[in-house]
Amino acid sequence: MTRFTLGGGAILRGTVVFASIASLVSAPARAEPPVDLSKWSPEYVRSIAGTAEFDTAKECGKVTPLDYKGRLTFWYQGVFEGDPDLLRQYYKDFFETFRKTYPNIQLEDQALTYNDLLDKFRTALLGNAAPMAVRLQILGGTEFASKGYLQPLKPEDVGWSTEDFWPGAMKAVTWDGVTYGIPTNNETMAFIWNADIFKRAGLDPNKAPATWDDVVKYSKQIHDKLGIAGYGLVARKNAGNTPYRFMPQLWGYGGGVFDEASANPTYKQIQLNSAASKRALQASYDMYVRDKSVPVSALTNQQADNQPLFLGGQLGMMISHPSDYNVMLDLQKKATGTDKEKAQTVIDNMRYGLIPTGPDGKRAVVFGGSNIHILKPEYVDGGKVDEPAAKALICFWTSPEWSLKMAYAGSNPGNLNGFKTKWMKERLDSIKFLDVTTSMLPYGIPFPALPQSPEIMNIIVPDMLQNALTGAMTVDQAADDAAKKVEDLMGGGGL
Amino acid sequence: MTIATGEAETPRRSGPARSGTARRVWEHRADYAYVTPAILVMLIVIAYPIYYTIDLSFYTTPPSLQLKDKIFVGFDNYKAILTSDVFWRVTVNTLIWTLASTILSFTLGFATALALHADFIGRGALRAILIIPWVISAVAASYIWKWIYHSDFGVIGAVLVELGIADRPPNFIDSVGTVLPSLIVVNIWREFPFAMIMMTAGLQTVPDQLLRAAQVDGASAWQRFWHVTFPHLRNVSTVTVLLLAVANFNSFIIPWIMTGGGPSNASHIWITHIYELAFGRQRWGVASAYSVLLFIILMTLGYFYVRALAGGEKKGRGA
Repeated sequence: MTRFTLGGGAILRGTVVFASIASLVSAPARAEPPVDLSKWSPEYVRSIAGTAEFDTAKECGKVTPLDYKGRLTFWYQGVFEGDPDLLRQYYKDFFETFRKTYPNIQLEDQALTYNDLLDKFRTALLGNAAPMAVRLQILGGTEFASKGYLQPLKPEDVGWSTEDFWPGAMKAVTWDGVTYGIPTNNETMAFIWNADIFKRAGLDPNKAPATWDDVVKYSKQIHDKLGIAGYGLVARKNAGNTPYRFMPQLWGYGGGVFDEASANPTYKQIQLNSAASKRALQASYDMYVRDKSVPVSALTNQQADNQPLFLGGQLGMMISHPSDYNVMLDLQKKATGTDKEKAQTVIDNMRYGLIPTGPDGKRAVVFGGSNIHILKPEYVDGGKVDEPAAKALICFWTSPEWSLKMAYAGSNPGNLNGFKTKWMKERLDSIKFLDVTTSMLPYGIPFPALPQSPEIMNIIVPDMLQNALTGAMTVDQAADDAAKKVEDLMGGGGL
Repeated sequence: MTIATGEAETPRRSGPARSGTARRVWEHRADYAYVTPAILVMLIVIAYPIYYTIDLSFYTTPPSLQLKDKIFVGFDNYKAILTSDVFWRVTVNTLIWTLASTILSFTLGFATALALHADFIGRGALRAILIIPWVISAVAASYIWKWIYHSDFGVIGAVLVELGIADRPPNFIDSVGTVLPSLIVVNIWREFPFAMIMMTAGLQTVPDQLLRAAQVDGASAWQRFWHVTFPHLRNVSTVTVLLLAVANFNSFIIPWIMTGGGPSNASHIWITHIYELAFGRQRWGVASAYSVLLFIILMTLGYFYVRALAGGEKKGRGA
């Protein structure tokens, strides 16, 4: 039994928020987007699904002839342990289909996980041993573009239009006014809870916590009454999961690293130690230290560790990736004996809702995703880039069909036309809660488009959390220390 | 005597000392030819990276610049490291990690080697079992221990709660106070078999006649160990301790996989911190300066290692 919890008010607010964000972050319009972003709502997404057909081979054949003979080396952020089996199958299908469509392109592809890709790619670049093309997490594009490693590449170069992609996503691949990549997928997370746990803890089983302060309260109530963890806090360093889960809280309270949550960010003023940011950090402190209502392992955990906790009925609620529902189904299939029944009970009691707001009603979520780029020849192993082969693959991946299929269970198509395909309709029917995670898109805030962002998000922000949660520093000290680190980093110094 | 001196001086005057050196080189030309490829390889894969690391340690590398655009900053990186609180904290961690791991691994390994030196049924099988931690992949071992220690549903915690010894699972790796000792336990578990093997090999070189003679002379077990066995093991002990110390200074896998240096830098040791600075934060210059400092320390240990080896060889020849 599942229940969607989107009220008309929430959708309206989301639409208004999105409309204002989209209008501010988008480049001057050269053409109309293929979908009406101002009407964005679960109903609208359903209404456009299955209304258009696309022939990928035909479209990409216009960019690179299908009989083209060449060779391509390609690294990509692939599936990892927290992804559902369905996604693995689509990745397999993609490469098989590409090889069939372009039989004369010798493709040497290598999948790496989110946490490994940046390190390996940076090292390869130092030795001029990078691949010809790379698919990076949304954080990575600006860093490598600013350093001059990437070739200018815009959607028009592979047969699509800039307006076919989310404005916020295009911003993440733009540096100094030049576009250096194409978004493959974009997603926002939502909030997931176990209705049975809520009920047993004396909470309304069908109502998500409305605010982050409620999350703190609910988490304590669940822990005190049932002796299990309330909220799935994640604070590991060097793991993408941490900023994806803490930044919505930070922004919700009105804080930020800079002013990235504002309508027109300048990234000039550091706000990590503002009163609002400290309140957000205090909320995490209250849950972890004061109430002890979250997993103790939060400091070394990733989301993949919280999934089995949730499925085992040992965790009441957490920020959830769109793919978590399918992951739960996969885990349930692998369980045996009474564990299988328990897991099924949890799945039946899964509820999805919008991420809570801050005290002032501000709702925010990380606008996540990935981009695909072409390297400059001088940094590539062998010193040559086969551009037609690279463009063929990029056209394929960013097509309406494959940008949807490759994001089938865990994300949304980077190419907005993907929302119009029959596969979108199919997945809306088969994947529960997709409406909810998709409905968070209008609240999405991209990470600061700065080369320093990976260090800020993967190291400084988690360090701040760990310093406060372990008692190594007070909340104030941890926030001030983090702000100082960002200041040093932006000034080119610091350790 | 005078004539002899004159004879000896004559060639020095007629040809400089260089000719003697040149002659010796010429006489050993085949030897030099044999080692030249190895020397070239070492120059490329060892000497050049060392030179490059030292050179890089004098530059800064902001995140928005490529490495080739690095900026010269003199000794600033060294200054930044030595005046950083994190550096000293990490140094203390490194010393605790290295000393505790080395001493305890050696002690446990030595004790096990002594226990398994006596002949009894199943000794071979027991030795084989005890070697398992050493031969198992460090990555796999780290993940296994991470789950054993897990602060919410780890095996140790579950057993303690089940037995009523604890109300809730103990916090091993999510606390700044317990994380380093917890990781050291894993490291000792992995390393003591190495010490055991080394000391077992050493024990087999202790002459039985001496031990029997001492026994006949009325020496107690402890006296036989201290006055006969241990002196024979001095060199192998020194080498084992030095090898363990160098390995522990350079130990990366266990702390990195289990905690990533956290929480709050409490389990960062030099090598993990260097990795994070270089690959996670792209502070190639600072990371290089760090590496140079680590290199100096390891070379010092290496010097003692070589001296210990040379001392052992001399004694061996003398005997």
